[in-house]
Amino acid sequence: MAGALHFEDIKEGDEAPVTSHTLTRTDLVRYAGASGDYNPMHHDEIAATAAGQPSVFGHGMFSMGLLGTALTDYVGAGNVRHYQVRFSRQTWPGEELSTKIVVTSKRVEDAGHLVDLACTLANADGEVKVVGEATAVLPSRG
Amino acid sequence: MAEDDLKKLIGKPMSKSTVVVERGPVSNFAVAVCDRNPVYRDPRAAKEAGFDAIPAPPTWPFVMQAWGEFAEEQPGDKPKANAMADVIGPLMAGGGLILHGEQEFTYHRPVFVGDVLEGEGTVVDAYAKESKGRTMTFIVTETVWKDAKTGEPVVSSKFNLIHRG
Repeated sequence: MAGALHFEDIKEGDEAPVTSHTLTRTDLVRYAGASGDYNPMHHDEIAATAAGQPSVFGHGMFSMGLLGTALTDYVGAGNVRHYQVRFSRQTWPGEELSTKIVVTSKRVEDAGHLVDLACTLANADGEVKVVGEATAVLPSRG
Repeated sequence: MAEDDLKKLIGKPMSKSTVVVERGPVSNFAVAVCDRNPVYRDPRAAKEAGFDAIPAPPTWPFVMQAWGEFAEEQPGDKPKANAMADVIGPLMAGGGLILHGEQEFTYHRPVFVGDVLEGEGTVVDAYAKESKGRTMTFIVTETVWKDAKTGEPVVSSKFNLIHRG
């Protein structure tokens, strides 16, 4: 819940709880509907294999969204001020995707009590799918 | 496409849009990114968490035009040409693959259900690189969303699209 984590509660090197999720074709269909992204590579197995892909594959923005869910679970909904990722690999149905979010720095600025985080999403073999960084503003007890 | 032609795109308008943020689509989107936090669907939970309205998950701004861009709300001075589409269209006609390379959001405040947001997109960078004998064309666009009532900035979305020839 928003406000649960305070600036004083964390230190550099702390890690957010890991979120793990096994990607299903249903996830892809649900994300297609919720986002309006109907690129057939993400839901039409026939079209995807015809295009030379082994199967349908996940939307990059689903990966960013899943990682974003772990991020807001940690820092609180509404507290993210900056969130940036690079999409490095495709995701495939059946893969277990796990988040890793590490506190890289803490700082106090006019904007508030800020925390910087390194964020990655990887499969069970450690293949990184999405790598990025985020900044959140946290409530302070000070 | 020649490097000089790509450079000419920088600063060109891409889109202008007015978007209404509604509860159903936001709540549904939260489920789609595996987010079960009740603040995204129950106004009572949102209030308890200190919000005046239901907030949207961080990546919502990427999809909100698909849900809340109503014809009668749109600005009359939309750009006639979409600089990004003008480049990508011909490239795709010659084959190749479109990839989403990077995505970045900068938030001035959360987006809330009930917001009416006005966005303007421009091309902020365009360049080509050779990689393994293929031409990679990079187009970076930025859309700045403002609160239609106050004019205050809400969120900026930077989108890095790659065409792999």
